[in-house]
Amino acid sequence: MIFEKVAEMLADYKGIDVSTIAPESTFQDLELDSLDVADLVMQIEDALGVNIELDPSVTNMDALVKRIEEAKNA
Amino acid sequence: MIHTDICDRIGIEYPIFQGGMAWVSEHVLAAAVSNAGGLGLISAMSADGEYLRREIRLCREITDKPFGVNVMLMSPYAAEVAKVILEERVSVVTTGAGLPGVYMKEWVPAGIKVVPVVPSTAIARRVEREGAAAIIAEGCESGGHVGELTTMALVPQVVDCVSVPVVAAGGIADGRGIAAAFMLGARGVQCGTRFLCAEECQIHPNYKRKVLAARDIDTVVTGRRLGHPVRCLRNPLSRQIGLMEYDSSVSNEEIERCGAGSLRRAAVEGDTEGGSFMAGQIAALVKCVKPAREIIAEMFAEAEKLLSEGATWVR
Repeated sequence: MIFEKVAEMLADYKGIDVSTIAPESTFQDLELDSLDVADLVMQIEDALGVNIELDPSVTNMDALVKRIEEAKNA
Repeated sequence: MIHTDICDRIGIEYPIFQGGMAWVSEHVLAAAVSNAGGLGLISAMSADGEYLRREIRLCREITDKPFGVNVMLMSPYAAEVAKVILEERVSVVTTGAGLPGVYMKEWVPAGIKVVPVVPSTAIARRVEREGAAAIIAEGCESGGHVGELTTMALVPQVVDCVSVPVVAAGGIADGRGIAAAFMLGARGVQCGTRFLCAEECQIHPNYKRKVLAARDIDTVVTGRRLGHPVRCLRNPLSRQIGLMEYDSSVSNEEIERCGAGSLRRAAVEGDTEGGSFMAGQIAALVKCVKPAREIIAEMFAEAEKLLSEGATWVR
């Protein structure tokens, strides 16, 4: 559920087809640089009302979704 | 006298920070800027924690004013450096080249004033939430690591999205720059390039000569292909790296190798061929070497004059 929501936001952000985004897609695959990631995460935080911990170990969609789940359950 | 809430928050006389520049911002320059009423900064660069500890202690021997440490978050020693900052009870930390959140969790409760350098509004909002005392909005006119937005565009956008005071950086080297930054909503400025030509700056004389000789079009950005673009003065090395970046047969690793150690070669050895002389677009405005105290006093006298005269020509 969270993955779908994030993929939708990312597809909108990048102007790409949502079907091209998979859990294992890395930020590099998606052509997201560190500024894009910070911006996207702030959008997700605003939309979902959570504070997401972000550090360099989060490099793909799966890891990002896990962080969001942790934040929601905190 | 220009006095803003940055002065009160940081405990300084003039709302000016000296940029944290690797191989440039060591304790002599930092102390000189702090003794002159600004905020001097020691760069932790990519050195280990013990280097920083020595620098902090040497700085304390020659100033009793507040000074700070700049942490380059991409450094392999960032975690070690973060710990030394806590142990040495540094009063102000600026951060660059990454997200400082993981370290702010320890610094902020310890009473350390954290002032991250940000290249975008999203990162500004994030660091404010994490407890930043102020935020440095640095435009791509600056020297060294650069983002995409200019100071003119970035500063007012950051000012609008946070409630802590904003320090403008990138392209500021005189009183006109300070006055303009204040009009954009900043409450302080950070200058790097101007302090390269402070008398107390310990860099090789060739580096100072290159800054003094720089023209408006003499800086270039290299390293975009590697994902960490850097602005420096044009020279044979910058040309070589530029050519390599456009050559698809050259690997990123080869480009990295070519640039490795080049800032040290510039700042310490004065190697005009193979050094990377980082400087901002404003380098051409730097015309003379002066003590930090004179640089700061002159910049703020000019800014004050301009800001007070504005009312006479704006109808």
